[in-house]
Amino acid sequence: MKKIIFTIFILFPGFLFAASSTELEGGFKLGPALILLTILVLFILVGIIFRAKDTNDFFAAGRKISKVGSGMAIASNWMSAASFLGMAALMYGSGYHGLAYVIGWTGGYVLLLILMAGQIRKYGKYTAADFIGDRYYSKGLRITGAIVAILISIAYCVGQFGGIGLLFKWILGIEYSLAVVIGGSVVLTYTLISGMLGVTKNMQIQYVIIIISFLIPLFLLTYKFDYFWLLPQIGYGSVVSDIVTGIPAPEVAGMLNSFGNDFAISPSPEYAMPWDPSSGKTFFQFMAISFSLMVGTAGLPHVIQRFYVVPKVRDARWSVVWGLFFISILYWSAPVYSALGTILSASPEVGKLSKDAIVVYTAQLGNINPLVVGLLAAGGVSAAFSTVSGLLVAGASAFSHDLYVKVINPNCSPKKQLLMARIATVLMAIIVSLIALLKLALIGQLVAVAFSLAGCTIFPLFLLGIWWSGSNKKGAIAGLLVGGGISLIAIIYFIATKFGLILPAQDFVNYWLGAWYFAWIGAPLAIIANIVVSYFTEETPLAIRKFLVEEVHS
Amino acid sequence: MNNNDNFKEKDYHISLFKPTTKLAKFNKNLIIGLFSIWAIAIFGFQIVLRVIEEPTPEAAFLNYEEVWGQVKNNEASVQEKQVFVQSVLSVLGKVTVATSDRVFLSSAVNNITMQLVPQNEEQVFLSKIKAFREVNYGEENYQSLKKDLGYTAAKYIGVPDYSLEAKLIPLELKAAESSQLNIKKIEMIMPKYLIHNQSVLTDTIFLGFPFHYFYTAVFLLILFVGLCLFYCIATDRKMLELGIED
Repeated sequence: MKKIIFTIFILFPGFLFAASSTELEGGFKLGPALILLTILVLFILVGIIFRAKDTNDFFAAGRKISKVGSGMAIASNWMSAASFLGMAALMYGSGYHGLAYVIGWTGGYVLLLILMAGQIRKYGKYTAADFIGDRYYSKGLRITGAIVAILISIAYCVGQFGGIGLLFKWILGIEYSLAVVIGGSVVLTYTLISGMLGVTKNMQIQYVIIIISFLIPLFLLTYKFDYFWLLPQIGYGSVVSDIVTGIPAPEVAGMLNSFGNDFAISPSPEYAMPWDPSSGKTFFQFMAISFSLMVGTAGLPHVIQRFYVVPKVRDARWSVVWGLFFISILYWSAPVYSALGTILSASPEVGKLSKDAIVVYTAQLGNINPLVVGLLAAGGVSAAFSTVSGLLVAGASAFSHDLYVKVINPNCSPKKQLLMARIATVLMAIIVSLIALLKLALIGQLVAVAFSLAGCTIFPLFLLGIWWSGSNKKGAIAGLLVGGGISLIAIIYFIATKFGLILPAQDFVNYWLGAWYFAWIGAPLAIIANIVVSYFTEETPLAIRKFLVEEVHS
Repeated sequence: MNNNDNFKEKDYHISLFKPTTKLAKFNKNLIIGLFSIWAIAIFGFQIVLRVIEEPTPEAAFLNYEEVWGQVKNNEASVQEKQVFVQSVLSVLGKVTVATSDRVFLSSAVNNITMQLVPQNEEQVFLSKIKAFREVNYGEENYQSLKKDLGYTAAKYIGVPDYSLEAKLIPLELKAAESSQLNIKKIEMIMPKYLIHNQSVLTDTIFLGFPFHYFYTAVFLLILFVGLCLFYCIATDRKMLELGIED
């Protein structure tokens, strides 16, 4: 029976697949390209059917989304190229250290739920900058909030465009730079056509595609290599233990990867042991990354914005539970790719693999049917698309709603506002594409920069804004200056190091204020600055305190 | 506003730690409770892991340590040299080896393996290495040359011809840029890859996983979903009790 299944589904030659089994990149792959095209057409059709008709639709999907639907949208919005590709890449490259990203990107939802979700919905604003401007009664802070939201969206998008580029490169067999441009253009077109209502509907469909495309190869791989395949998320425990103890080569040729190497590996405890010296990562970095990603999760404008689209406060809370559950399905699964990829690529003959593509390479090395690998790659593109569209809408909202309408041209028509949102979307996509071409770091690391930035700036403003009426405008400014200052230092040092520039105390700053975890210190200091300055300055206006007591906390 | 909350203007204050409404008081207790569980479960566990860990060498490192003194002083017996090459190959078989480290390890393997080849077989062995170096992966005779070189080398380094080491050594001999034994580098590289932070939490197997790995990769996510679920159920009940509707 097993033989029949594998003849049909796994060993069947991929007639639509141009790459040879020993060439992981290869040329143009017709099968995966057709799958991708079908999925994209589906997305655009859904986008057209449910496209935004007015600004209320564009920004908040008319507040017509159910809690389960919103949970799926949260998950789809969240499950980006960083989750789909980047997480396995981080674990493949640095073992247990990569789990800091897994718990960081999920644990933050607990903070988000217990500290913010319901209250944000009760506050009833469209965007993060809306909240900041209103709660801290300051046009200047609204502008700053909008600019920070745009910067976070750009930083987050860079990693996504990197992932899109990587997968378009793999599918189309073209250069990375060209792939970024083509992939970026497609995602931009799609976002422009749909807007958030289409995006939200699409996100629900995208979630299904993402999770199915991610799980099918896992079942096949664990089945093929004789692990507990009914629940690979648990079954891969034996894979991890096998990596630690090593798998000896069999006396008679047995299971092989697509290069003809045995399914064997030298004992490699470094894969699973904490902060292993060979990974070059430390205990401090593990803790700092986990913490920074958690506070960043609770401060990301495009995540916070999702709570505005549910009809009720209760739905906002429950959508987090559903969202986290849907997200966790992928996060329980990503380490399986990393573990199997480690064994399948153990032979030096496989060569140095691009870590960010290890999910796809693992399926290829495991000799999975090429069309299934194609579906996996298309799922990766969907993951990046769903997040990018949400990010571009969040960034465009920040520009058109918070900057243009509220500051530059308060009397503009809704039509003009929509036009400004679309112009902002195009500009952001161009900026992001240009940065993505520089390939500054791994996808997961690039995305983590956005989290730290959000953790240092937006998170303290929301946390104190909701939970302490004493936090006032001057306190908020002080907190933003401290959080923003730390972010600026960390990012300047990161970029300088990437371009070979020498700055004072470079090693010290790069270690303690690493670009993917500077919020470990930035967020607490921003909160302290906000509290201290608020204490010594005038009280928050009564209207706001009254609103907090009567509307948000009663 | 809830009818039970009776405010004067000066009372319009909200603080998580000094709640002024019934809902805020309930939230305070719930949030502090859940937050404590969350923080201890995540960070507390990692701190415990850090506190109890011990640097633990792999078997290959113990073997290496035993023979390294003799090897670096050029006083090693055939068996000691074989043990050394096997130890180095066990590092080269790891996915995580950095290219910069691999260069020195491959050269060391080349150096000591050549010392293990009997003089009368040296030319034949060198010609096999040369022939294998001249073919690329995927070429017609690549696999046969690799197999032949592996079988021959396996005999010299004292491993079965089907072993991982036998499959690895032709690739390392092919890749070796020199046959130098860089003592300083080897002494730096070997412990880096062969000593790990281990403890009872990493050595205990649970559902096939090292326990700490299961806890972080699987259990914590279950806990997060559970905490969120508990929060929503508890809040819904409280809202109902207080008569608060959306």
